[in-house]
Amino acid sequence: MDSKGALSVTPIRQSRLVAILAGVWLIIILVLGFWWGTLLLRQSARIAQLSVAAGVPQSEAFAELSRTQYMLQWESGSFLLFLLTLSAALFWFYWRDMQRARGTQAFFAALTHELRTPLTSVRLQSEAIAAGEPTQELVDRLLADTHRLESQIDKTLELARIEGGGALAEQAIRLDPWLDRVLRGIVAAYGNAVQLELTLDPALPAIRGDTSALQLILRNLIENASRHGDRDPIYVDVNVHNAGGHVELRFADDGRGIEGDPSKLGRLFQRGSSSRGTGVGLYLVRVLMERMGGKVEFGAAPGGGFAATLHFQRSAD
Amino acid sequence: MSAPPETRLLLLEDDANVAGTLASRLTTEGYAVTYANSVRAAREALAGPAFQVAILDVGLPDGSGFEVAQTLRDRSPATAVLFLTAYGTPQDRIRGLELGADDYVTKPFVFRELLLRIQNVQRRATYLQQPGAVQGATSRIGMADVDFGRFTARVGDKVHRLTHKECAVLKLLAERAGNAVTRDEILDRAWSPDEFPTQRTVDNFIVRLRKLVERDPSNPQSILSVRGVGYQLEAGHE
Repeated sequence: MDSKGALSVTPIRQSRLVAILAGVWLIIILVLGFWWGTLLLRQSARIAQLSVAAGVPQSEAFAELSRTQYMLQWESGSFLLFLLTLSAALFWFYWRDMQRARGTQAFFAALTHELRTPLTSVRLQSEAIAAGEPTQELVDRLLADTHRLESQIDKTLELARIEGGGALAEQAIRLDPWLDRVLRGIVAAYGNAVQLELTLDPALPAIRGDTSALQLILRNLIENASRHGDRDPIYVDVNVHNAGGHVELRFADDGRGIEGDPSKLGRLFQRGSSSRGTGVGLYLVRVLMERMGGKVEFGAAPGGGFAATLHFQRSAD
Repeated sequence: MSAPPETRLLLLEDDANVAGTLASRLTTEGYAVTYANSVRAAREALAGPAFQVAILDVGLPDGSGFEVAQTLRDRSPATAVLFLTAYGTPQDRIRGLELGADDYVTKPFVFRELLLRIQNVQRRATYLQQPGAVQGATSRIGMADVDFGRFTARVGDKVHRLTHKECAVLKLLAERAGNAVTRDEILDRAWSPDEFPTQRTVDNFIVRLRKLVERDPSNPQSILSVRGVGYQLEAGHE
């Protein structure tokens, strides 16, 4: 996707007007093309008749007419076919642009919501502390809110970077003990709300990846579990093992799981049935995995929660 | 100013941090707060004793605060409804007000401002429950039979639901039938200063009310304009 296209919102009403005008233009061109083709066929028939009247042998005149008609039918038919193909392509681009514009609008609306809610909380906690109620609970909420704001900003910046074609700094990563340290750090920000169980195969080979991208993937998965799982605390199980030619990370939580079509998860601006979120978190997981030469599958955990299976390429180093 | 005694308040908010601190501060201000974090939980709470005030978030995991407002209007029309939301678009605001919201506060907000708004919608709800000068719960205004107890206006066979603001303005005009009511008096009765209303706000509001009660809103016979002063309900309107 073009990064400029992602961030510039085409006025939908204006686009619709352009599409209607293009449709009218296409119909006029098709009708005129058809009419001119018919006229030319008639004229060639008339020329053949006049040629016969002028003394040209009938067989010669009608052979010429037949050639001309054949040529006209092929040329006008090809022209109309090209025109229709071009128009269909233009309409497809227009439809895709409309979808993207709608998605971008929805993203900005959701982003505003996602920023305003923690901001409201920050203000409420700050006011309460200023009013003389500095309890540890208020301070914890304040810290959690700043963490939410930071996470949202990180996702938005990463989206802009990825859509702008920003490169990843790939290297060989040994997941043991890197993964344990990173995951514990991410989960710590949620206090007791997220309980992590990590199982690492001791004989794991190094994987190919970008440490920043991998951290963002893990943070998004944990945040997704915490926000959409509707459980407090929510239990997250991460199991990493060697799966033949690649390394597999299985992530599963015991939350309420996916509502709707799991195949739609990971699309840009795709949100579940919940009104929360911007539809960017799982998209970044998918795109970053693909950019690192791997892939991700979203689905249901055995207990009914949310599950994601990440396939990493083994490092050649 | 703290809440009147026994003021039951429903707080519908899915963000635990916002809800936790808000509930605690409102309790300190004297409100008996019932907290719900989903549409389902709010509906369960509505099955109990009536609330005087409801603060409803719009975007919720299992639906929208608009749905709860609808339920609330059916079961307990006297409850003052205030939407509290991060969706601040004019369309959302219009939808909320059409559903009978008494006010609409956009996040982030200052707690004192929210408190003032709550007190204002409560003041209006209290005024509407006072017997006042209007005899009986129903009053005939133009083509409409206005029921101040049920917050409805019957025009022919059709029953229209009225917002607290609409009821407050109609009640004030009915109480002073035959006399002019200034725009400032109307503003003072139905709006709070923190909503930043202007005299033009009243004029637009009267246009809406005329569409409801007048046979020909362009040639009003019941709610008359008094040049340079305000409005007057024609005496003998009942």
